[in-house]
Amino acid sequence: MNYDFTEAELLFAGEVEKAAAQMPLAPASGTFFSNAEIKAALGLLAKTPYLAVGLDKSAGMGAVIHMASMESLASLAPSMALCVEMSTRVFGRLLAAHGSDVAKEKVLKPLLAGNLVGAVALSEGAMNVENDPFSTQGLEQGDGFSVTGAKNWVVNAPAADVIAVAGRVGDKVAFFLVPAGAPGLLVEAPATTMGYEAAPLSGLSLENCAVPRDMILGPFDAKTILAEARELENLVLLGLALGAMKSAFGQAKAHAKSHKSGGKPIIAFQEVGFKLSEMLTMLQASELLAFRAAWLAEKGDKATADVLLCAKVFVAECAEKVTGEALRILSGAGWTGTGPAQGAFRNAKWSQIAGTSTEIARVKIGDSALGYK
Amino acid sequence: MDFEFTREQLMFKEEVIRFAKKEIAPRCAEHDLKGEFDLESFRKMGEFGILGLHFPEEYGGQGADVVTTVMAGEALGEAGVDGGLTLAYGAHTFLCADTLFRHGTEVQKRKYVPKLASGEWIGCMGLTEPGAGSDVASMTTEAVKQGDKYILNGSKIFITNGPIADVAVVYAKTDPTAKHAGISAFVVEKGTPGYTTGEPLKKMGMKTSVTSELFFNDCEIPAENLLGQEGMGFLMAMETVEWDRSALLAPFIGSGAFLLKKCTDYAKKRIQFDRPIGKFQAVKHRLAEIRIMTEAARGLVYRIAWCKDQGRPLNHLEAAVAKLFVGDWSLSPSNDAMLIFGGYGYCHEYDVERVFRDSRLAPIGGGTSDIQKMIISRLM
Repeated sequence: MNYDFTEAELLFAGEVEKAAAQMPLAPASGTFFSNAEIKAALGLLAKTPYLAVGLDKSAGMGAVIHMASMESLASLAPSMALCVEMSTRVFGRLLAAHGSDVAKEKVLKPLLAGNLVGAVALSEGAMNVENDPFSTQGLEQGDGFSVTGAKNWVVNAPAADVIAVAGRVGDKVAFFLVPAGAPGLLVEAPATTMGYEAAPLSGLSLENCAVPRDMILGPFDAKTILAEARELENLVLLGLALGAMKSAFGQAKAHAKSHKSGGKPIIAFQEVGFKLSEMLTMLQASELLAFRAAWLAEKGDKATADVLLCAKVFVAECAEKVTGEALRILSGAGWTGTGPAQGAFRNAKWSQIAGTSTEIARVKIGDSALGYK
Repeated sequence: MDFEFTREQLMFKEEVIRFAKKEIAPRCAEHDLKGEFDLESFRKMGEFGILGLHFPEEYGGQGADVVTTVMAGEALGEAGVDGGLTLAYGAHTFLCADTLFRHGTEVQKRKYVPKLASGEWIGCMGLTEPGAGSDVASMTTEAVKQGDKYILNGSKIFITNGPIADVAVVYAKTDPTAKHAGISAFVVEKGTPGYTTGEPLKKMGMKTSVTSELFFNDCEIPAENLLGQEGMGFLMAMETVEWDRSALLAPFIGSGAFLLKKCTDYAKKRIQFDRPIGKFQAVKHRLAEIRIMTEAARGLVYRIAWCKDQGRPLNHLEAAVAKLFVGDWSLSPSNDAMLIFGGYGYCHEYDVERVFRDSRLAPIGGGTSDIQKMIISRLM
């Protein structure tokens, strides 16, 4: 047991923070980050081992310090953190774990160098607690597959160089690596969203889209691979939720110390000081639970699935509470200002509904306790 | 950062669970209903080695680290040992014996710690007063030095193990004009003239721990019963309080696992609308809440234990955060459990009712949740 980070880990975390501080909060023009802007951010991180964590052992950094660094990244540049993590930690890790040599050479290599943006297209109407079969499917055609279907809410889709599209192959599931501009791929216009406004997110459809055999991950047993993909996504959502809490708490605390009422800083009033105490308690409890979930996942521990779902529910819901309380402390300064709390409040919702939703997660935790798996 | 327990620690935890399930848990309901301290179980805990776990072997202990010690507390909760007995253990081992061990002279340590570690003697700590709860500095119990004696006058309240303790660590003002710096700690043995205890207080929960007032009326104790030096009492109390906010919280974490097991067993057997209630999402959600809160609390409590093992005492912020979390959030699992059991959960014969009552002390004892918020906000 060790609750400290090593010096090397802290140095790494500092480098990530420096990189994050240079990232834009909003696109230079337009409403959403472009492919070039995301690559610029990836390029900053490529100077550190960050992009390789979980993808390449040479990174030399583990899952826990990655979670802590993701928290910092998400607190400083939330929309970009979502783009970076969905590309690297979800798309990238699926590829690193299951990609062919060709796919790794063509896609993973530039991804690790910060020269490629990835996306994972998973959600569709049938994605629920039972994981009903996808409507998207790949049919063998020549030396590859022809993929047809539609996906919802794909982060990075409008800006991605390659999209890993989940679909059915018989009774199994595969991820088809579809490059941007591929014939038959239609990426919809980015949706306007409640939070992470600068992160491009859209639906997409595929009509007889040809994918060569060596650009396919799988096919796999559906339940196993979907659980793996959800685990990767849930870990990212934890880091994002921690970041939302950290930034909102930080702004609220600074405000409470500097803003005076009745001649004293408002933190001196129990109404405010106690609220901040509860927020810090939720933040620290969330951090430790998220760190432990990441640590278990890295070890491949059998407790991972349950603890990660517990963390998903707890951290995501604490994020909404902490960011909400931050806005109450900030009052008009939060409602009107440009600080991170108001954005964090909106962003916090994403960690509840994306990945395994908190409600589905509760059902799964309950099922596991009851032995109903 | 890693969260790995050693193989030995995990094996020891399982051993404690097995021991407690067999020897102690079957006796809990009876003693809880009678509101009686279970001396036999307490002594068995001593024989097993739990009462002196973290003391060196030469003082009758097992030489365990703090993490292992906290694990033992978690194991007791997980085995279904009632909160009253774990509270008695906590007050005895951490609030009394540990203070004697850390601040006593070699003579004092040799005299008291082995007897406390074995359970031959029972210990308590007298800090809180009717007019001095969290505001420790306002205590009025005085110790006046006269030659080679101290004369104690005053009273203490809400003292766990008070009526049954053979030895008490008592805090009193040796300099009434000073605030915190005027507090000193003393050892007072049962039977010392002028030292009496009140009738056991009737409490909502933790019924098997006996709680009372302590009275000191011209109570003469030898000067060598001073612990450490005059004026050091507040610091000692702060060290003690950190145990309150780590090891004493561990049984609450364990009781989360206990409740989950009880509730899942019940939810699989209880049939309503032609199916086990565990098939309903609302029940699954309550089970999930119990598991989630237990998992969230664990890291906070073990963080303090680990810090103590690294030789980092007085982790005020971390301790207050853990206490606030466990105190406030531990109420919801016991509430969820009671709602899963419905009417049965309201009846004494089901363990969840006892856990519900016992858990109510978590946000009160060892500094209320509001006091923890005060500490945290000041440290920010």
